[in-house]
Amino acid sequence: VVIDGELVPGDGSRESDEVGLLLARIATGDRAAFTDLYDRFSSRAFGLIVRVLVDRSQSAEVLQEVFLEIWQSADRFAPNKGSGRTWILTIAHRRAIDRVRAAQASTDRDTRIGFRDLAVPADDVAEEVELKMESERVRTALSTLPDAQREAITLAYFGGYSQSEVAALVGAPLGTVKTRMRDGLGRLRIALEVGS
Amino acid sequence: VTEDEFIELAAGHALHALDATEEEALEAAMLQHPGWVRHVTAALETSARLADLAEPIAPPPSVRSELLARIAEPALPLAPPAAADPAVEPPRRLLRRWLALAASIVVIAGVAVGSTVFLQQTSRPASIVALEQIDAAPDADWAAIELEGGGAATAHWSTSVGQAVLVVDGLPAPGSDQTFELWYVGADGPVPAGTFMTDTNGAATALLAGTFEPGLVIAVTVEPAGGSPTGAPSSDPVVAIAT
Repeated sequence: VVIDGELVPGDGSRESDEVGLLLARIATGDRAAFTDLYDRFSSRAFGLIVRVLVDRSQSAEVLQEVFLEIWQSADRFAPNKGSGRTWILTIAHRRAIDRVRAAQASTDRDTRIGFRDLAVPADDVAEEVELKMESERVRTALSTLPDAQREAITLAYFGGYSQSEVAALVGAPLGTVKTRMRDGLGRLRIALEVGS
Repeated sequence: VTEDEFIELAAGHALHALDATEEEALEAAMLQHPGWVRHVTAALETSARLADLAEPIAPPPSVRSELLARIAEPALPLAPPAAADPAVEPPRRLLRRWLALAASIVVIAGVAVGSTVFLQQTSRPASIVALEQIDAAPDADWAAIELEGGGAATAHWSTSVGQAVLVVDGLPAPGSDQTFELWYVGADGPVPAGTFMTDTNGAATALLAGTFEPGLVIAVTVEPAGGSPTGAPSSDPVVAIAT
């Protein structure tokens, strides 16, 4: 499986983390490596940010913040704690969600993105990704989860809702939501054969 | 915190769904049980795969240029206009020197000049209208340099619009019988692109005459009032920006 030009063995581990190597060069102030990383990841990171934030111009600002953070803190990337790709996408995701929370009252978010739409991947989402093997794989894995687990994970990851907000939205006790997230993520991990 | 509770926290963390207290509990537990870090790693590796569900979207090109500008090296000072060599140099030599100068100038990131600011103005000079057109173009780009004495110059251009606008602020005033002259500098040497004057703050927004083409250097020299009589610059540039 090739993800972002990186050969990823089927078991989800990375024999060589090319992105991690780029990050190591960026940590030394290598601008060419940074440009290379940007050209490889900007579309992917921007797509994720737009999916969470919706607003394109705010998303562009967040994208810039994300890559500035990468430039400034690449030395904090620890290869033994995950892949370079995960590190980058985690920063993009965190910053997108922080922006959603900072910029919008939660009532705005409810109207902006109906949470029911988020809970079950819609057809147009499937169309967007159908050419992408990896997306398909993730979508398939997600669809094998019980509805309540998929809903909790999608509301949090794409909707930017905290555990207590998800609990309020779906009308379940907080403890139940926490368990759904843990079990759902655990199932996904097995389905996607993510190593630890 | 038991290991089971920690795995629950790790899942919430990976989905960015914990509150601040829970994040602290996670951090504290990791310090106490370094072996549990693997649960966080596994949860993050899994949640990051969800990003694959979002279709990649090409970001606006301005994000790239602004980022690369931001990480560029600190500025080298420009030669002061007083050090001008009045001799007219062969175009190629001059271009090489100016290009070297432009290349050494650090492009800084700044706040992009928002066209909304200008929309509020009552009079609409050609330079302002052009700047709005450029900023609205899909291939709009810009580069900024710091000037000696704390000023700044920003060039905005768009190949599709075919125009470039230079915005300066804090440009030291020329002599009373002098003016600023704009130049497009290409392989055939500098081509005059109009003159402009600054206000009392050394600020101006100037539209370059002629057609912008990618790769041209946008430069400003101090010239006798009315512009260089020879049609070639008579001094070193006070501003030079590579596009």
